[in-house]
Amino acid sequence: MEKNIVIVDDSESIREVVEFTLTNAGNKVKVAVDGKDALKYFDGSKIDLVVTDLYMPKMDGIELIKQIRKKDDYKFVPIIFLSTESQQNKKMEAKEAGATGWIVKPFVPEKLLAAMNKVIR
Amino acid sequence: MEQFKKKFLEEAADLIAGLEKALLVLEENMDDKSVNEEVFRIMHSLKGGSSMFGFHKMDSFTHNLENIYDLIRNNKLKLSREILDITLEAVDHLKILLENGDELSKSDEKTHNELSGKINKITQNIQQSSNEPPAKAEAKTNEQNKPASDNLPAVDEIPTYHIIIKPFEKIFKNGTNPLLFIDELSSMGHCKVYAKTGKIPLFDKINPELCYVSWEVFLATDKSTDDIKDVFIFVEDSCEIKISKIADINLPAKSLFVKDLDNLMRDDDFCDTYKLKELAKTVVEKEKPDDELELTKAKNVTSLAKKTAINNIRVASDKLDNLMNLVSELITTQASLSLYAENNENTELTSIAENIEKISRQLRDNTFEICLIPIDTILIRFKRLVRDLSQELEKEIQFTAEGTETELDKSIIEGLTEPIMHIFRNAIDHGIESADERLKKGKPKQGKITLSAFYSGTNVYLQIKDDGRGLDAEKIRKKAINRGFISPDANLSYKELLNLVFLPGFSTAAKVTELSGRGVGLDVVVKKISDIRGEVEIESQLGVGTTITIKLPLTMSIIDGLLVKINETYFVLPMTAVDKCYEVKTEKLQNNFNNKIKLDENLVPYINLRKEFDIQDNMPDVQQVIRVKHEDQNVALSVDNIIGEYQAVLKPLGQMFKDLEIVSGATILGDGTIALVLDSGKITNTFDRETIKKREEVLKAKIDRENLEKS
Repeated sequence: MEKNIVIVDDSESIREVVEFTLTNAGNKVKVAVDGKDALKYFDGSKIDLVVTDLYMPKMDGIELIKQIRKKDDYKFVPIIFLSTESQQNKKMEAKEAGATGWIVKPFVPEKLLAAMNKVIR
Repeated sequence: MEQFKKKFLEEAADLIAGLEKALLVLEENMDDKSVNEEVFRIMHSLKGGSSMFGFHKMDSFTHNLENIYDLIRNNKLKLSREILDITLEAVDHLKILLENGDELSKSDEKTHNELSGKINKITQNIQQSSNEPPAKAEAKTNEQNKPASDNLPAVDEIPTYHIIIKPFEKIFKNGTNPLLFIDELSSMGHCKVYAKTGKIPLFDKINPELCYVSWEVFLATDKSTDDIKDVFIFVEDSCEIKISKIADINLPAKSLFVKDLDNLMRDDDFCDTYKLKELAKTVVEKEKPDDELELTKAKNVTSLAKKTAINNIRVASDKLDNLMNLVSELITTQASLSLYAENNENTELTSIAENIEKISRQLRDNTFEICLIPIDTILIRFKRLVRDLSQELEKEIQFTAEGTETELDKSIIEGLTEPIMHIFRNAIDHGIESADERLKKGKPKQGKITLSAFYSGTNVYLQIKDDGRGLDAEKIRKKAINRGFISPDANLSYKELLNLVFLPGFSTAAKVTELSGRGVGLDVVVKKISDIRGEVEIESQLGVGTTITIKLPLTMSIIDGLLVKINETYFVLPMTAVDKCYEVKTEKLQNNFNNKIKLDENLVPYINLRKEFDIQDNMPDVQQVIRVKHEDQNVALSVDNIIGEYQAVLKPLGQMFKDLEIVSGATILGDGTIALVLDSGKITNTFDRETIKKREEVLKAKIDRENLEKS
């Protein structure tokens, strides 16, 4: 089933890996370069999954998650964050903000897909 | 992955450049938290990328580097100049790491270790005291995929686990769907799931945002407990999970067990493990295991490459060059088409030709725009140069840049970097004095170098200004005489004297330092700049400073022009210079006073192009006068006919004509005729020079007369 996925990362290469992987898995992908940029997609249209980086200029991942959760339409949309941060405190902060799951960089496409399968059907 | 690696290389190069820039900004303002944050963020991105794409050395290197700035942003460490120095060194090393990946040459390896050592030393002390284990970038080796259990081992042999899943009510708030765990669990082996629905309130009391259901799962799998735990990795803290092994055999496959279980599960309470184990023991008699173990949960990875909207793409620059060439060719061809259509008086063809003309013009403009990049992009190198040089020479120099958003053609920028670097080196090494010397002269201790860029007409100007010792015209004169560049009695203006420094083999610095004055003089700068059709000018005041101005064309190859005709010869004037066109009677032109004609009630100096190009035949009765503007100066040019607008693809004229100042190139017209492209700026300049000369002569005569009178 085709999913609508929003990818948020300031690194173009990471964005492309994620985009490529998810698109190849038969999904519809939209990309944004930071949290602020990403918010434009949350206009009521159907979004099944958000994959976001944590450290980004303008608006970081945690703030983005908070903003998304504030919107009625996206209260329950699964959000996966990507990070090299394996420290517990960042994870907790993101979860507190409403993140669904995470992927630790470096990751291979299979890991991303596995994580995705954990949060959406 | 390879294709992304290439992308990463480009991106990382940008990141490193950005990092360098941010560090230099940080150096100016060490307490600026936002810049520090930026530095940290870039390092973080770099680390993330390098770990993804197999740059392990870079990964760990940036990781350590990042730690420093993490400590700083958390106020555990104070940023010092020393740290910045090391970081900048590290940035240089990053470039090497990026280029060579993990395979370093011996000397690079040595630098790598030395730098790593230095960096670790910075963080060590603090980290020990704060007792925080260094955040290792060790990837949690989460085995990526759980190959669907389509080939289960002998069904009986696998152990059975009892799993209790009790989500917290608020679990939905994280966008978690608990059913997905159940799904994943069932894909791991043979399983039996019971939902506990007793907590669901009456319908009108239900809050749809809360989760009221829990589950009990009996799973027979060959996976380990850890693997099962992995299923819940995202929800460890929003779920109560209990996993226990209850038997070494596949219980869910035993119908007897399942029957008993069904009875047990009617109760809403969770089963206790002991009870289950007992039950398992009683299932001694083996029953035929269920045959159908349909667990085809193969993850279908459908290859459906779909294009999505991309905001920016990166293109190799030679592709742009190609595009540019093709556009030039297209425009030349389009001119032929237009001409052909016109001559054949075929209205249909004419309208098509006009359309093509319109489109190719738009195409040209767009292509130009693509090729324009802001000067900002090379600025960082200058900043770095100033920083490094001033440190090395122990001079204090403040570098400022203005108008960095000014855009120039990519190829021009490429050709510009080296000459400007040279000018900078000169300014820092020879121009700006040492702090002591400056103080003695009553100047501020800190020297100043300014790079400003601005548009003016069809040109972009770059000015590099320093407040150093300036050029000594007399010294230059003496030296020029010594070297035999000029004769001792040569009468040169101040400006002409200054311009002598651009001659090959001219160097005023008394001592040759390591930095500049390596025998490469300013003549190379002039050469390089003129290669990109630019001009260099120097102004200087002894003791006050030097300003070098570089004038550059906006684009290199195609210009919008006005096609004009004198007798049978075609010329193209750059459209940007053209102000207004007039019709004037030839006799009026010939009878003018002091080469000035009256246009719109203003007297405008006038250049007869016929005279300039020595064309005498077929003088028409009425001539066209074109008013052109150049640096706030109006000049009128006379031609026979104005044909109209024309897109001229500039072609160089070849060595023979390189001294022809007023012609900037040639272009091929639709019918194959060649038209010269005039440089209106140069034309007005020659005019200027002539008038100035005349005025000087007058002035000189006057002074001579005065002297004569005195004596």
